[in-house]
Amino acid sequence: MSEPAMQLLDVKKNIGSKQIIKGISFTINQGEVFGFIGPNGAGKTTTIRMMVGLMNLSDGDIRIMGNSIKSDYKQAAREIGAIVENPEMYPFMSGKQNLLHYARMIPGVTKERVHEVISLVGLEKPINDKVGKYSLGMRQRLGIAQALLHKPSVLILDEPTNGLDPAGIREIRTYIRSLAEKENVAVIISSHLLSEIEQMCDRIGIIKNGELIAIQDVHDTQAEKQISQILMEVTPAEKACELLKSQHDIESAVKGGALLFQNEKELIPQLIKTLVEHDISVFQVSVTKASLEDKFFDLIGENTIE
Amino acid sequence: MSNFFKLLYNEQFKIYIRKSTWIMYLLLAGIIVTLAVVANSYGELNEKYQQDNWREVLQEENNEINDTLKKNEDSFVSMQLEKNNFHLENDIQPREYDAWQFVMENELLLSLVTLFTIIVAAGIIANEFKWGTIKLLLIRPLSRTKILLSKYISVLVFAFFTLLFVLLFSWIVGALFFGVNGEPSFVQYQLGNYAEASVFEEITKGYGYQLVTLLMMATFAFMISSAFRQSSLAIGVAIFLMFAGNSIVGFFADRSWAKYILFANTNLEQYEFGDPMIEGMTLGFSISVLAVYYIVFLLISWLFFTKRDVAGH
Ligand SMILES: Nc1ncnc2c1ncn2[C@@H]1O[C@H](COP(=O)(O)OP(=O)(O)OP(=O)(O)O)[C@@H](O)[C@H]1O
Ligand SMILES: [Mg+2]
Repeated sequence: MSEPAMQLLDVKKNIGSKQIIKGISFTINQGEVFGFIGPNGAGKTTTIRMMVGLMNLSDGDIRIMGNSIKSDYKQAAREIGAIVENPEMYPFMSGKQNLLHYARMIPGVTKERVHEVISLVGLEKPINDKVGKYSLGMRQRLGIAQALLHKPSVLILDEPTNGLDPAGIREIRTYIRSLAEKENVAVIISSHLLSEIEQMCDRIGIIKNGELIAIQDVHDTQAEKQISQILMEVTPAEKACELLKSQHDIESAVKGGALLFQNEKELIPQLIKTLVEHDISVFQVSVTKASLEDKFFDLIGENTIE
Repeated sequence: MSNFFKLLYNEQFKIYIRKSTWIMYLLLAGIIVTLAVVANSYGELNEKYQQDNWREVLQEENNEINDTLKKNEDSFVSMQLEKNNFHLENDIQPREYDAWQFVMENELLLSLVTLFTIIVAAGIIANEFKWGTIKLLLIRPLSRTKILLSKYISVLVFAFFTLLFVLLFSWIVGALFFGVNGEPSFVQYQLGNYAEASVFEEITKGYGYQLVTLLMMATFAFMISSAFRQSSLAIGVAIFLMFAGNSIVGFFADRSWAKYILFANTNLEQYEFGDPMIEGMTLGFSISVLAVYYIVFLLISWLFFTKRDVAGH
């Protein structure tokens, strides 16, 4: 197997006496799109700042294509393109002047490459306008263009969908997928909205209070047996609830004459049979698929900031 | 283009593309033209000495001065008398005011150049933080030291260009208003006597001495900008110190450590007349003190810029 694009090895960060990142480890492979999900204040941006060398690590190490960000900063940085938080550019310069500015900072980026990334993100028309006049969506695109100038192996995008309209998000989604598949770029996308990036990710890491609490393979959830949210309208509900517990070992909640529980869809005919056999009237059964989103909330619980 | 030169180019580009920089240059140009107009209308241009009879003109002036002196003692006119006598005794015709002398007198504009350099130095790091662009600047495969150095050198390059602009523009405006004389020299009061001095030498010295303050205060503002990431603070403190410097020295003059205050040492001209601000100071002493301050300023800038996290606000 090829070298991992990026490795985090027990990364910790203390600011003052507070531990903001409490030992995060994960590996991202080449050509993989990795979603970095967590509620506000979870530590996504802080982790990303350490990945790109803006912040020092308090402990642990980050390797980019095998180069340690601590000891081989230049080699590591050569492999990274990033937007950290907002895509801020020089407002008094045109889009093109901004790109040329960054191009001059990396050896080997030609004028042709600058034009290439401009057309890649579809900014040909406004590229000579001052960035101060750009909309947020245009600045996001310029930010991505800037990050791609030197053909990095790892692209890090902190909340790239922030402020984009649905069409813009869809566009970024297709674009990122094609980058990963065609150019074998590893992409890390952070977001606090799982639904926005779920479809473009191969894997998702969930961070909460500075800890990585789960890594989920997106395609896995489709393959594995579906756990569904099941609602049964039955009378008497209390008796039905006891029956499910005693006969099928299912914990359910009684809510206004209905039972609510999670289980496999395949079990439903059997459950109905049990209920009917015990003289319980079943009026309605409805099933909703538990999405990754529900799992996400299951995992992070309430959105509390420590 | 070499790597470092490209960084310098970037920094210069960011300085000169901004309107505020152009306003600085327009201001300087405006002041230079105004000074020329004022000198042309009210200044002493020595035109009356340009005929062959300049000795008689001087003599006549002396006679008039002697008349006034008989009525009441006035040192100002008696100095004019001394100066006229110097011209007569040494047979030196007073030169007509020209572009070179205009350039020489404009050395006072250097405090404005210093002010502008302080503003640029204060902003060159702090503005990147203000704009948020520091994040995109520091994720490049370049050491922070190199980026810092490109910024510092850029400040000096800006000062150099601005100084050059003042010199050139003053000379051009001076030439248009007053013409140019070859071999410029003038007569000035020096160490209790009148003597002829070369204008070139005076320009070099006059501008040169002020460059010390420029360099020290710009580096100081650069340091504050690097440490606090805040340009208004850097501008405020640097300008305040620049103007209050002499008063600070005066205030602490009787303390034993007063001679180690930066501003006791920035004016190297004090040694030309052998009368330093505080007794016992020498040129070598001042240069050493300045060097220590300079290195400390740069070291602090470097420490803050390279070691500190770029975190959110
Ligand atoms: N400079 C700082 N000093 C002290 N604490 C900080 C600093 N920067 C961030 N933090 C804290 O670190 C934690 C993580 O912040 P971070 O910005 O990484 O979160 P995030 O996951 O990116 O959140 P968001 O979704 O809001 O962008 C927060 O609790 C925040 O208060
Ligand atoms: Mg964030």
